[in-house]
Amino acid sequence: MKTLNANPGAAIRALLFLAVLGAAPNQLSASPRALAQDDEASEDDADGNEKEKDADTWFAITNADVYTGTGAVLRGATILAKNGVIDEIGYDLFLPDATETLDAMGMRVYPGLVAMGATSSLSGGGLTSADADDIEHLDPHFGLDDPMRGDEIDAHVSPDHDDDESFGDYDESDSELTATIADVERIEDSFDPFGQALVLALATGITTAEQSGAAVKLKRGEIKGMVVNTDHLAGFGWSVSNPASIRKTREDFAGASQYLREHGAWDELDKDAKKETKEPSKPKNFDAAAYDVLTGKKLARFSADDREDLSGIATFAQRYGFRPVIFGCREGWTVASELGRAGAYALLTPRERSPKSELLVRAGGSSIENAAILHEHGVQVAIRPANTGFGSSMSGITGRDLLSLPVEAAFGVRGGLPEDAAIAAISLVPARLLGAADRIGTLEPGKDLDAIVTDGDLLHYETFVQWAIVSGKVVYDKQDEVYFAHIRPRPEPPQAPEPEATDDGGDDQEPAVDDAGVDEDASDDEEPTADDEATDDDDESEDDRRAA
Amino acid sequence: MLSLATTLAVSLAAPQVAAPTSFALRASKVLTCADEGDPFVNNGIVLVKDGKIEAVGRERDIEIPEGYELFDCGDAWLAPGFVELHCHEAGRSLYSGVNDLNDTVYLTNPGMRASAAVDPGNRSMQMAVAAGVTTVLYIPGSGSNIGGQGILLKTSFNRFEENLVKNPGSMKLAQWGNPESWGPGVGRTFENWNTRHTLQRGIAYAKTWEAFEAGEGEEPQRNVSYDVFRHLRANDIAISTHTQFYQVVLMTLTMVHGELGLPVFLDHSSLGGWRTGALAEEMGVAAICGPRSVDPPSRRVVNWAQLGQEGFKGLAAGYQEQGHTNIGFNTDSPVIPQEELPLNAAMGARYGFDDSNLEVLRGLTIVPAKAARIADRVGSLEAGKDADILVVTGHPADPRTAVEAVFVNGRRAYDAERDGRRW
Repeated sequence: MKTLNANPGAAIRALLFLAVLGAAPNQLSASPRALAQDDEASEDDADGNEKEKDADTWFAITNADVYTGTGAVLRGATILAKNGVIDEIGYDLFLPDATETLDAMGMRVYPGLVAMGATSSLSGGGLTSADADDIEHLDPHFGLDDPMRGDEIDAHVSPDHDDDESFGDYDESDSELTATIADVERIEDSFDPFGQALVLALATGITTAEQSGAAVKLKRGEIKGMVVNTDHLAGFGWSVSNPASIRKTREDFAGASQYLREHGAWDELDKDAKKETKEPSKPKNFDAAAYDVLTGKKLARFSADDREDLSGIATFAQRYGFRPVIFGCREGWTVASELGRAGAYALLTPRERSPKSELLVRAGGSSIENAAILHEHGVQVAIRPANTGFGSSMSGITGRDLLSLPVEAAFGVRGGLPEDAAIAAISLVPARLLGAADRIGTLEPGKDLDAIVTDGDLLHYETFVQWAIVSGKVVYDKQDEVYFAHIRPRPEPPQAPEPEATDDGGDDQEPAVDDAGVDEDASDDEEPTADDEATDDDDESEDDRRAA
Repeated sequence: MLSLATTLAVSLAAPQVAAPTSFALRASKVLTCADEGDPFVNNGIVLVKDGKIEAVGRERDIEIPEGYELFDCGDAWLAPGFVELHCHEAGRSLYSGVNDLNDTVYLTNPGMRASAAVDPGNRSMQMAVAAGVTTVLYIPGSGSNIGGQGILLKTSFNRFEENLVKNPGSMKLAQWGNPESWGPGVGRTFENWNTRHTLQRGIAYAKTWEAFEAGEGEEPQRNVSYDVFRHLRANDIAISTHTQFYQVVLMTLTMVHGELGLPVFLDHSSLGGWRTGALAEEMGVAAICGPRSVDPPSRRVVNWAQLGQEGFKGLAAGYQEQGHTNIGFNTDSPVIPQEELPLNAAMGARYGFDDSNLEVLRGLTIVPAKAARIADRVGSLEAGKDADILVVTGHPADPRTAVEAVFVNGRRAYDAERDGRRW
């Protein structure tokens, strides 16, 4: 039973909640997870229950209209996550006792958004810009051509979930992952998990951002497990105005392809023949990035807008059988069928404005219909605004930077892009580009619970994100932050009727009654409580136990 | 309800020839923005004759006269063309690629006319009409305190005469922000004195003409620098004011309107200007917001206004909270591209501006039309006004809403199907 002696309890809860949000990484023992574990541990001590339960934290979003991102919309459904990973989505789910619930009655739940090319202002640290255009004039392989690189290929991250887990809990002694660990550490060390831009990103619904080519989860107050994947995109040059870039790319792929063929043939030899035949060596100018693309470990990224370049890339990619990722893709709408046949991905800005050259007769330049036409031809479209920071909004001019990521997608809809494709363009497709779609991008069992709860259609300009959840933890609550709380404040959830007598449990899905909207029902049901003072506090189980 | 965009394609039975002089448009919703009567009509008809609106009403109430061609817009909506009061893109300055018309020779130069630089049918205007912006106030830049005279233009035609709505269309006043960079040794104190002095001289000049026209005194000597004040004194045009910050907007209201009695409306009007909302409402001065839509949090980056606020404060919402009822939107194009005028209104709504009575659409149409003293011609779908009509697929401010066709002066100035979708 729960006595709704709300105010003092709620205030303490709110304080605790804020304290948790503000906790420094070295104070993580105060996290909800740790608190929950403490509760369970004490319980277990008393009851002598199974030990395995200790490690599990359960979190559920209830009563929401769940837009899974896979095409399904489940009205009034529940999403249950175990240890930050979605366990089940559906109706009448069994919620374990210790489940922390977020009542999202009347709201919608979408997958957390993924921001490509987010400026380093988001991380608050000294990461370099991930925007390829900034370094386009450099050799795309600059700094990557060291002789050791070829040997490390196998140590590189594969998009497999299992391998990714090593990022969160990597073992320093694992020498094979040295290069990657350095990347992860570099990103973690330069990340500010308390920054203003981080909160604004979460307020927009962004739960993962691309930083320096890595997929970085916007965890708050902690950095553990924030890097999902690194370096999934390998950059290549292709510009008719710079024929050397095309020649270099052709050579890179020719060399890697030849090595793959020769080594493949050698691999098929039997043991004795192998001894007699020399193992094929890598060509002199072997390109590891092209090898990674051909073996499916990475995606090849090109920055191209001109239609001749786009056609060339499409033809080239088909020849080698890989799917090119094209940043920019301004004139893609004029060669959409070629790009579609090549299975291309496009990262574009629907509002881009570049009239075609007046010297040209053929169609060209930017088009508001670009995203729609590419989508229609089977190109997977990802969307980002022209300005991938918050500078414009922070000077008062809104609607044109990362704070309005869904607005940029809405302009895709204006040009004819279907709404579900527009949402995928800021969630699932960029997750694929980052090699992180096995973890994020949609709401499916087995994926991380990175989700946003909105008060309406995500693509509508008046819609606000009410809560953002990363790895099954509430990391943003509109009403708890200074930025937007005063704009159309969220109505208090309907108060549950005053309990007159003993309520015999089963209240896991009751609307939350506290300020934060997070209802921790820990052990309410099991402990027969005669104590009128028992409140909703985190330490209630201890009280209960004493009372019992 | 209005935010539910109907996205069904419009099948205008579009003839490839020029529209007839008399025709009827039928649509599932007609957003009239009229002050009298319903602000919108479901299943409505708009009759157009010789470039003007002849009648607006429900389908069952209006009989389509014989000889009128009927265009059925199906599920699409009709709305008045948007009116932009802060445009620098309808013309061309001496410097290619820069459209802003800034003569920063004199701090106050009321004689300079933006009309000389108008470049009809330029690319920005082609984009404007494709986004539904059918009337713009093309004004000199804000590099001087009084940059010159604006001109009110339609956006749709290739000839100056066809586009002309009113010339002069406004007098441009800039009170805070850019003129401070004017030359060495001029402080804001002098600028304020000089601005007031210029306005007083202009008023004195206009009064001599008023006296002469009333039969008193000799005919004054003509001074083209101050002729614009005769239009202002007649309330034929207003001063369009680049003004921002509470104290400066207060000066716009108390000095320009209160003390000197000149008609004025607020452009820009950001950075805490909304705190003057109650006074502006009392004085009947319209507040046109843009290119900023919010006062940002004071921490970090910009803290010019010293507002000490932590959250994002919507400007239009701020004026509304103060009881202001004439709130509109502008872009300061090219600061915001001309075609994104409706987005600025959408952002106003996002950050708290109440849109339950079509305030957002009014802020794009009738409010700026009244502020610029051209509501007799544009700003709403009412009999007698110019037939500037948008055919849209949903709420006119929603970025997802596509503009299918635009009629200006009763002519089909843009048709996405015919011309290719520009925006």
